[in-house]
Amino acid sequence: MADPTDGRGARPVADLELQGITKRFGHLTALDGVDLSAYPGQVLAVVGDNGAGKSTLIKIIGGVYRPDAGEVALSGERVAFSDPADARRAGVATVFQDLALVEVLDVSTNMFLGQFPRRAGWLVSRKAMDAQSRAFLDDLKVTIPSVKTQIGMLSGGQRQIIAIARAMRTGAHTVLLDEPTAALGVRETAHAKDLIRELRDRGNTVICISHDMHLVFDLADRIQVLRHGRVAGVRETAATTSDEIIGLITGSSSDEPHAIARSE
Amino acid sequence: MTVHSHTSVDPVAAGSLQRTDRRDWGKYTQQAGLASCIVALGVYFTVKNSNFASQDNLIELLRAATLYFIVACPVTLVLVGGGLDFSVGAVYALGAVCSGLMITHGIPWPVALCGGVGVGVTVGLANAAATIYLSVPPLIATIGSFFVAGGIAVVITDGIDVYGFPDSFTHIGSGDIAGIPYLIVYAAAIGVIFHIVLEKTVFGYNIRAVGGNRDAAAANAIRVARVDIALYALSGGIAALAGILGSARLSSASPNAAGAGFTFQVITAVIVGGTSLFGGVGTVAGSALGAILFAEINNGLQVINVNPLYQSIFIGIILVAAVAVDQFRRKRRFRAGR
Repeated sequence: MADPTDGRGARPVADLELQGITKRFGHLTALDGVDLSAYPGQVLAVVGDNGAGKSTLIKIIGGVYRPDAGEVALSGERVAFSDPADARRAGVATVFQDLALVEVLDVSTNMFLGQFPRRAGWLVSRKAMDAQSRAFLDDLKVTIPSVKTQIGMLSGGQRQIIAIARAMRTGAHTVLLDEPTAALGVRETAHAKDLIRELRDRGNTVICISHDMHLVFDLADRIQVLRHGRVAGVRETAATTSDEIIGLITGSSSDEPHAIARSE
Repeated sequence: MTVHSHTSVDPVAAGSLQRTDRRDWGKYTQQAGLASCIVALGVYFTVKNSNFASQDNLIELLRAATLYFIVACPVTLVLVGGGLDFSVGAVYALGAVCSGLMITHGIPWPVALCGGVGVGVTVGLANAAATIYLSVPPLIATIGSFFVAGGIAVVITDGIDVYGFPDSFTHIGSGDIAGIPYLIVYAAAIGVIFHIVLEKTVFGYNIRAVGGNRDAAAANAIRVARVDIALYALSGGIAALAGILGSARLSSASPNAAGAGFTFQVITAVIVGGTSLFGGVGTVAGSALGAILFAEINNGLQVINVNPLYQSIFIGIILVAAVAVDQFRRKRRFRAGR
């Protein structure tokens, strides 16, 4: 199983490939030999119980942690990110659960954090920044009263959407989302889902951690289940059921060791 | 358009409803309040004694504010960047005596001035190193360097004032253009430069990002440590420069000049001017207003014959009141947003 055929007949190149990722915190082994493959134009959902290692895995891909063992490869080339900035330069953007927005700054400044458009060498081109932010948010059908509004004055959902929009704006090819709809209202969740689909349709590789089974079945092309720091299984969304996934999460059903889907 | 499209997620509203990307004037209410305070106090002092509004007195008032304001400029940036610099009062004295000693030992004053500023920058770099690489909180690191710098200033002079400066040097602190003292001109120029740096440059935007959310800034590829180093170096250098200008004005450099009282006045002016101790928020213009307000209180109380010793009491009350008003305003503003 897990033939990554995306329904359009093409067999995409594995954009992101993890092999044997192990991460220990003192005596605790958070991840133990985890493999993962994610493909352009697809959403991979990573699910699992609390403490299964989902966030640790995302943080390793995003450059926050360095694995104790194992390899990360982007488009076939081995990479080792020293920090999130390093990962972002390589085209891997993370939308963290705490969003990494600066509350006291306005929307467009946050959209361009660390990549301010310049004029005259060292001045920030405020006009270009505001115009591009506005155009970009309009394109995504995000309605913010003003791109000069401070982030601190926006709702949690609006912040989440700005954070996702920022990841899209940076031109990242791989976007990691950590619980993108936690604490969002119904309409905001719907909009966040639209944004994630938009990301996918633009050919990005999307990896999404979520507890929300509806969201996972709604969005994901494939679902990878983690349990106690190991891969409990990988399923094509179209070929599985909520019950099977929940069984894998709780451990009431399990793949044999090494029966885990690989893309080779 | 739907009437309920004030939420963020109505895909139908498509952004065209509220395309008013206007400047957020709400940020400037503290400065506006401060400016009205200055004007109201000015009117009060003038009514009590019309000499207050005389040109000579207003120039004297501004001159009294200049040295505080010059140092307040980089200190504003440090606070906006989420740091704190308590060492400026001692660096002021250290810069003055270092360049003073160089001058009295025959070194040309422009070279000595640069040397004194260099000493200030060095203290700033030490502050940055202690906070970044030794993880000492800025408050502690800069109180430490306050004592060290102040101590060095006393040791190298045996605690005695340095004097005997050439006129060409004292002129830079005491001369004037068309009745306006050079010091006011310097302060205005430095203020404009720091305002532009903070509000317009990539460095200024990075300062706000680092002060507003250090982790977010780092996660978005802003070199956080580099921003810190630049801020503390600027703060040390400008504090030393102010000390040197002060020594030129008085024709002597005292190892006991400025000190803790100066540090407190500078930081108080900055905070009353609307700069947050918690980083990310603040303006150079606000700090200018803060420095002018204190100079006005000091000057006005003398003009209307109130014992100037009352000044500290007023300043203390104003500081706490300004921050309380700011907190209240912020709470209301953000609650309305959510």
